Amino acid sequence: MKPLEMTKISITAPKNQLRPVVEGLYELQLMDIEDHEGDVIESGKPFEEAEQLSETIVDIRSLISKLPEQDKQSTQTKDIGQVQNKATELEERVENIQKKIDRLSNQSEKLDDRIKTLEKLKGIDLNYEDLSGTKNLGAVAGDLDTEKLNKECSEDDYKLFKGKKSKVAVYRKEKDVEEAVNSCVESRISLPELDYEGPIEGLIDKKKEEKQKVEDQIREKEDELENISREWRGSLVKAEEFLSQKVEKAEAPINFGTTENAFIAKGWIPSEKLDELKEKMCDITDGKIYIEEEEGENPPVKHDNPSIVQPFEPLTDLMSVPKYNEVDPSFIILLTFPALFGFMIGDAGYGLTSLLVFAAGYKFLPSAQKIFQSLMYASIFTIIFGLAFGDAFGYVIFGPKHNALYALTGLEFLKEIPILFHRAEHLGQVLPVAVGFGVFHINMGYLVGFYNEYTNHGFIEAFLEKGSWVMLEISALAAYLYGAVVGAPLGLISLALLYKGEGIEGIVEIPSLIANILSYLRVFGVSIAAVALAKVVNGLAAPAFNSGTALGLAAGTAILIFGHTFNTFIKILEGFLQGIRLHYVEMFGKFYEGGGKKYAPFGATSN
Amino acid sequence: MAIEGMAAIGAAAAVSLTAIATAYTQAKIGAAGVGALAEDGDFGNILILTVIPETMVIFGLVVALIITGFI
Repeated sequence: MKPLEMTKISITAPKNQLRPVVEGLYELQLMDIEDHEGDVIESGKPFEEAEQLSETIVDIRSLISKLPEQDKQSTQTKDIGQVQNKATELEERVENIQKKIDRLSNQSEKLDDRIKTLEKLKGIDLNYEDLSGTKNLGAVAGDLDTEKLNKECSEDDYKLFKGKKSKVAVYRKEKDVEEAVNSCVESRISLPELDYEGPIEGLIDKKKEEKQKVEDQIREKEDELENISREWRGSLVKAEEFLSQKVEKAEAPINFGTTENAFIAKGWIPSEKLDELKEKMCDITDGKIYIEEEEGENPPVKHDNPSIVQPFEPLTDLMSVPKYNEVDPSFIILLTFPALFGFMIGDAGYGLTSLLVFAAGYKFLPSAQKIFQSLMYASIFTIIFGLAFGDAFGYVIFGPKHNALYALTGLEFLKEIPILFHRAEHLGQVLPVAVGFGVFHINMGYLVGFYNEYTNHGFIEAFLEKGSWVMLEISALAAYLYGAVVGAPLGLISLALLYKGEGIEGIVEIPSLIANILSYLRVFGVSIAAVALAKVVNGLAAPAFNSGTALGLAAGTAILIFGHTFNTFIKILEGFLQGIRLHYVEMFGKFYEGGGKKYAPFGATSN
Repeated sequence: MAIEGMAAIGAAAAVSLTAIATAYTQAKIGAAGVGALAEDGDFGNILILTVIPETMVIFGLVVALIITGFI
């Protein structure tokens, strides 16, 4: 139940053994190396190849990020040396292509703008060069107020050309005419300066052609990039992995202390592995090594649970990594979380669908496999509770009353199968279960807290800090059952104990105990919502089914499928969040400190 | 209006008003929490801070249950 026992060791060896020791430790993946501290002995320097390796790795990483991802990889992979040699050259090549693509995209965007501007002039029967005017004639293109123009100028002074989206006025270049025309312009199209003579339509086609060419060029360059990617990407990714390992090894001595002729490395290993490590390291260095156990503070934390509890470890870590000397609460989450989730959703149908969702998550999201495994436990409990309540997708399937499955199949035995109680009708029974579970859950928290205090500070401390709370609860119960005569003195004693144990903070916290227990009413709330949501979907589908037509049947089925799929996800969300919250806040609050440092052995990150 | 009707309205008010209060507070804490998470905060602590206001709506629910004579 507690994290794995750790031992601090120091490894001392002559400097010529540095490389074998680093290699050995990397391979063993056992030692969580601590940073070297202290001024007497200097920190070590990385191996001389570290700098170069780091540079290459930066190149390779940037290359990988620039190359498009590939489904089909070249089957022949290059060896590391080849990749290392080629990396810089490739980087340059890719950079060049990228630059060209950027330039071409820029060009294409500009052309796009032009085409858009020119398209506004479509339908105007003029040559492009006319639009910039001549010595004696001015021209303006854009939105023109033609009525105003008509009033302001005489017809001899201008001529109007109409296009689909704009107009062009060509006018005599005289001051008053120019002013009059300009006052009628609502928005002006500013014409790009182009070396072109001829009709506007032709110009648009020409620009479109130009754009097509640029696009083709871009595609060509992208194909080139694609080809490089196909040939190199796979090898690059592999090389990156390999070199990362090398860099990690090369930089390991930074955390060692070194003198002229020797070095010392300190760190933590699981106690049970100490002999294995000693033996291996002696083998590697031909005995030229000295390994000593040390006293140390703040050991890293590695969960140590049987395989059934392991899926729940990430849920503990999500809250906070446990401290080294406290109980690892993963097993408590196993004990109560799936059951709580199952009770809240309590529907065999949703149990199955959520199981499918989690199984899919387990398969397709390998990084979160453990969490999905723990959620699958929760789904199984949902099915169990669903069967106990006789609910599936909001329909009653077992028991004598409103048995939908019996109505459908006519099988008598379905009525005989007993159910716990019918949740939709007996909400009153969910309430005490919820509160009762809350009292149980919170007291379990106090018990674990008691154990933590007991192992770390002794019985008296544990009783004052955690036992006093339980006693307070008992005195409240006694006051309820036997009257204030019994309850009050007991309560006063526990208050005194509590004050001695936790100080004034403890007294102030008392109302929060009530709030915490009441918080379990959410189990009741979510339960109602779970039943009601399912019934709503069924209720929506019912009229469609009752219509008896083929269309009604199809519509009803569609509503059911959509509604219950939606509900599945809502229920997963509710069940998970509310369930885990009751653990994190209400229960963990009673004992959990957290804030431990996770055990990260040297070499294990590469996997 | 019958007294039951008034009680039902009271119960509805108890749940809905506290729910709005919870939502308002939770939104603010949640937004700040996401910011903290992006800066590499501790998920557990942020979660705890975010769920504190839920107490309000739970109390609202209790009041509603008492008004309607459920408990």
